[in-house]
Amino acid sequence: MDNSTKRKIVISPVTRIEGHAKITLQLDENGNVDDAFFHVNEFRGFEKFCEGRMYTEMPIITPRICGICPISHSIASVKACEMIQGITPTHTGNQLRRLIQIGQALSSHALSFFHLSSPDFLLGYDSDPSTRNILGLADKYPDIALRGIRLRKFGQEISERITGKKIHIAGIAPGGMAFPLTEHNRKAMLGWIHEAIETVEIGLGIIKQFHKENEAMVNSFATSPTLYLGTVGPEGELELYDGKLRFIDTDGSILQDQLDPARYLEFIAERSVSWSYLKYPYYKPYGFDKGFYRVGPLARLNVATKVKTKRAQKEFEHFKKLNNGNPVHGTFYFHYARLIEALYCVEEAERLLHDPEITSENIQAHGRWNYAEGIGCTEAPRGTLFHHYKTDDTGKLTNVNLLIATGQNNPSMNRSVLEVAKQYVKGNDIQEGMLNRVESTIRCYDPCLSCSTHAVGVMPMIVEVKDIAGNVVKRIERN
Amino acid sequence: MPKISVTIDDKKLDVDVGKTILEICKESGIEILTMCHLKGLTDVGACRLCLVEIEGINKLLSACTTKIAANMIIRTKTEKIKRYQRITSELFFAERNHVCSVCVANGKCDLQKLGYKTEMDHIRYPYLFPECNVDTSHPWYVLDHNRCIMCTRCVRACGEVEGAHNWNVMNRGYQVRVISDFDTPWGESVTCTSCGKCVHACPTGAIWPKAIVQGQLEKKPEIIAELIEKRKMNL
Repeated sequence: MDNSTKRKIVISPVTRIEGHAKITLQLDENGNVDDAFFHVNEFRGFEKFCEGRMYTEMPIITPRICGICPISHSIASVKACEMIQGITPTHTGNQLRRLIQIGQALSSHALSFFHLSSPDFLLGYDSDPSTRNILGLADKYPDIALRGIRLRKFGQEISERITGKKIHIAGIAPGGMAFPLTEHNRKAMLGWIHEAIETVEIGLGIIKQFHKENEAMVNSFATSPTLYLGTVGPEGELELYDGKLRFIDTDGSILQDQLDPARYLEFIAERSVSWSYLKYPYYKPYGFDKGFYRVGPLARLNVATKVKTKRAQKEFEHFKKLNNGNPVHGTFYFHYARLIEALYCVEEAERLLHDPEITSENIQAHGRWNYAEGIGCTEAPRGTLFHHYKTDDTGKLTNVNLLIATGQNNPSMNRSVLEVAKQYVKGNDIQEGMLNRVESTIRCYDPCLSCSTHAVGVMPMIVEVKDIAGNVVKRIERN
Repeated sequence: MPKISVTIDDKKLDVDVGKTILEICKESGIEILTMCHLKGLTDVGACRLCLVEIEGINKLLSACTTKIAANMIIRTKTEKIKRYQRITSELFFAERNHVCSVCVANGKCDLQKLGYKTEMDHIRYPYLFPECNVDTSHPWYVLDHNRCIMCTRCVRACGEVEGAHNWNVMNRGYQVRVISDFDTPWGESVTCTSCGKCVHACPTGAIWPKAIVQGQLEKKPEIIAELIEKRKMNL
């Protein structure tokens, strides 16, 4: 095709996600989308500047990567430290960490669904962009907005009641936890369970209603099959804190099961691209072109065989029926999967809070540097997270590799954007609602770009249509 | 002991001869900011936080190294002193790489407390961002030059109390560094007894035990003076 006839659409920044990014859509001479690029144009450098630090500092340094999932970073990091020391945490230490991790997942999923995504479902994709947000939601559906905010508060309060802080907590230490849970705080957390379950079920009602009313859109919304990666328990059950890895193929057949996360490099490779700071990880045995895999709530439910808790298991069975037991590929189902996980989180939190050992003082095992290398892995709200450290023989870090969930979804996000853009963007007459659908594709993944790279500054929402020579032929500003 | 009369912050006091202004202020409940002072160790006037105004003397003097004299009229909390203390605390932070949020001493750091006391809401001087080594060679402890403020409390505790003289000072100006022996890695020191007094003497997160993480640091600087007293009792 003659390049001179092509047009380019740039959406910058993508709004209502964590961090900042832009999307470029390349149009052909007929105004049809030819190609799509999801750019992440910021850079952080944690892997480099952590070199030279003591490895035991990493559970405190790496949570600063992100204010949404700091606990996952701390947990992946502390597991890597424990591998370096060759120790395992105490039962209570482990249970407290599991509880904090669940609190964070709940808080993050509440933010993703109620604050960021539900305005699309309840107010409509084509509603006024200036009110299509949590404030607009609070205006029209105050009860739902308040419940969403309170669900997020509960998640954060779990951290606060165990460690004293809601966001960047201290106390996740190699060998367990630095602070025990008091009986007073245990009871206070139990007081939230009933309301939290109600709120998640309201969310499930909203998404199911939306599915019903928009069946055609939901089932055609970026549905290309990919591989999936997630953590599972010994019986293949959904796991958010600790377990082994499972890769499944596009048809659901298991490619790798009960895989020790320490072997991740045997199965995952990364490639850089010139137009983004976010790397392209892929399933190594299938190569770069065919090895796209996804992580996160949809992937976790696709790889899991069951869910341990009663209510979530019921929803999980419904989820599995969506594609007759095969993996659910529709990107839109990320939202549903996220809410099923939120339900699991609340039920699991209740179970943990009834563990008689949860308030024990036996919270930390102690160790010292024994091995030069450590790999830690956990399930962050957005997917599987790896921390890999190498040290010298005094414990000083010589190499740091962080494989972030959003990074692993990057290749699939690109492809999803292309699919949706092809479906909804046609011609040079770009409507705001159409662009929002492209953006919402990205939002399905709930990407945390500040995690995987960095977020600097806030830009207005600008959409530019460019010809191949770079001349702006159309420009839309949101603010 | 003979007594002399002095006036501190408009308060007339009869005090012992031979003591420093700082000692007198501490005995009289007058708060003076300090960083390099540690009870039991020789004062060196390094941090310049305990500056006081003395009538008849046209410059500020450090309270920790100035002996009290009869009829001195001393002021400890003038606007000029507060301004100098604020400048000093800002310069501490600007000189090396202090990142409280990820520091092992966060919440338990004297430098952090100083920032609050001097109401340091921002730093007006350009950060130097020096490249500083982290010495992890000791089996139990870490020395992080990024967080060192050159108070030399570790140097004095090691020399005066433990008697090991492992710690010394090298270079001048902004290049000044605490060194182990003749600038060898701490883990290779032939003089260090691994007693840990320097860990307790350090007011920041510059010297810390490897075994702990943020939230677990418990420094006990008062043990330096207690050890000295206990030794006197044994004698």
